Amino acid sequence: MSDLIDGSENVSVHGIFNWILLLIIFSIITVIGNFLGYKHPMTDSLVGMGILSLITLLGVWMERYIPLNVSSILYISVMGIIIALPGMPTSDFVLYYVSKIELLSIVTVFLAYVGIGMGKSWDEFKALGWKAIVITILVIAATYYGAAIVAHIVLVLTGVPAV
Amino acid sequence: MGMERITIPDKERKTTSVEHIYREKTDKRILKKNPWRDYRLHGTVLILVVIAELIGTIEIPITKDVAITIMPLIYTIVFGLAFYLIKPIKWIQRKQARIAEGAMMLFIGVLIAKLAVSSGQSIGLIFEMGPALILQELGHLATILVLPIALLFGFKRESIGMTNSIGREPDVAVIVDKYGFNSPESRGVFAIFIVGTVIGTIFISFLVTLSLSFLPLHPYAFAMASGVGSASMNAAAIGPTLAAFPGLETQIEAFAGFSNLLSFCVGIYIVIFIAIPIIERVYNWLEPKIGKDSVVAQKEDE
Repeated sequence: MSDLIDGSENVSVHGIFNWILLLIIFSIITVIGNFLGYKHPMTDSLVGMGILSLITLLGVWMERYIPLNVSSILYISVMGIIIALPGMPTSDFVLYYVSKIELLSIVTVFLAYVGIGMGKSWDEFKALGWKAIVITILVIAATYYGAAIVAHIVLVLTGVPAV
Repeated sequence: MGMERITIPDKERKTTSVEHIYREKTDKRILKKNPWRDYRLHGTVLILVVIAELIGTIEIPITKDVAITIMPLIYTIVFGLAFYLIKPIKWIQRKQARIAEGAMMLFIGVLIAKLAVSSGQSIGLIFEMGPALILQELGHLATILVLPIALLFGFKRESIGMTNSIGREPDVAVIVDKYGFNSPESRGVFAIFIVGTVIGTIFISFLVTLSLSFLPLHPYAFAMASGVGSASMNAAAIGPTLAAFPGLETQIEAFAGFSNLLSFCVGIYIVIFIAIPIIERVYNWLEPKIGKDSVVAQKEDE
């Protein structure tokens, strides 16, 4: 069982050298996909991926070397938010280059790794049977609709106009 | 079908170190394997991405107003899984899957960083929409509505693990920590975790596509809802939402990213302090009324 929960959401690749090389590979594949799908110039989007990779690298490094029990997700989010804040000296530069990377280009590459990685769980999945599948589908749908409906009601009550 | 099948690899395990079991295990694996050197894996991903982007988005109209959109992200995830499962493809094996899983942990960071930049850019808007962003996290408690169905299916205390949350890593850690590794509650959350891992991203992508056509909700509500507490499901849910509201990309990314961040930060506290106490009570009240013979026990008796 330990094999199944060995971490699909936490950043956990050790060794800065390995991290950097993996991020370079990921950046190159994303930039190629970004060019094919959205025709963004490769050099600009490479700079954009460089910025995002640097934040990621700092985040995973901080998770391990700062003695707080805080996930890298939080460090990465805070750094990403700060450098893009309106009025920050970095924000023009960051926004120009990061906007050359479409979110969907990152997602497409990311989910290719997810697809290959989840093959490992296939046998356990088959052993579970239809009842567990039905319950999982209902649980995911409930999570999504629960949030969507509450958000919608609050947005309407607080008078946010439909865009 | 038996729930007991997934308990086979049970080992004695200290429940105190649960939070770090993922990190340490993958750290060890990746350190040994030199993940960047696996050209089979990265080459395959590159080919999948090129093919997916060249095919592009396909729209299948169902009725006049409703269409199912199939985006490149669906091709890469489905083909990726297929490459692992199809026997003639020998260069994608368990080793590559393990490396992919470890590398994915790192690549989540890039995705989160991109969303964070959008959040920073729209920070004013985020504060303005603060109440909706925070309260929608409580909407995740809707999973408790699934409890009666789990009981009717014949699950006993497994149903507590199954329906307290969406059952991703942080939730698994909470349940294992509270009930112990070999408890029925943990078996329940493991089942949801495994099924969610395999079908979650694909399912939520279609769920969102259909909802965008059928439900007249605020675009921001769709964006906030996509932060369900799993980076890959979040990614799969944002795709169709972005495509449905052209011109709102930055705002949708900002809300989706921020709501996912909230799910990570406050999500487990909602599970610990609200979801589990409620679900325990509902279980004790409802189980004697509608509970069936245990599916798990039946299997063991045979």
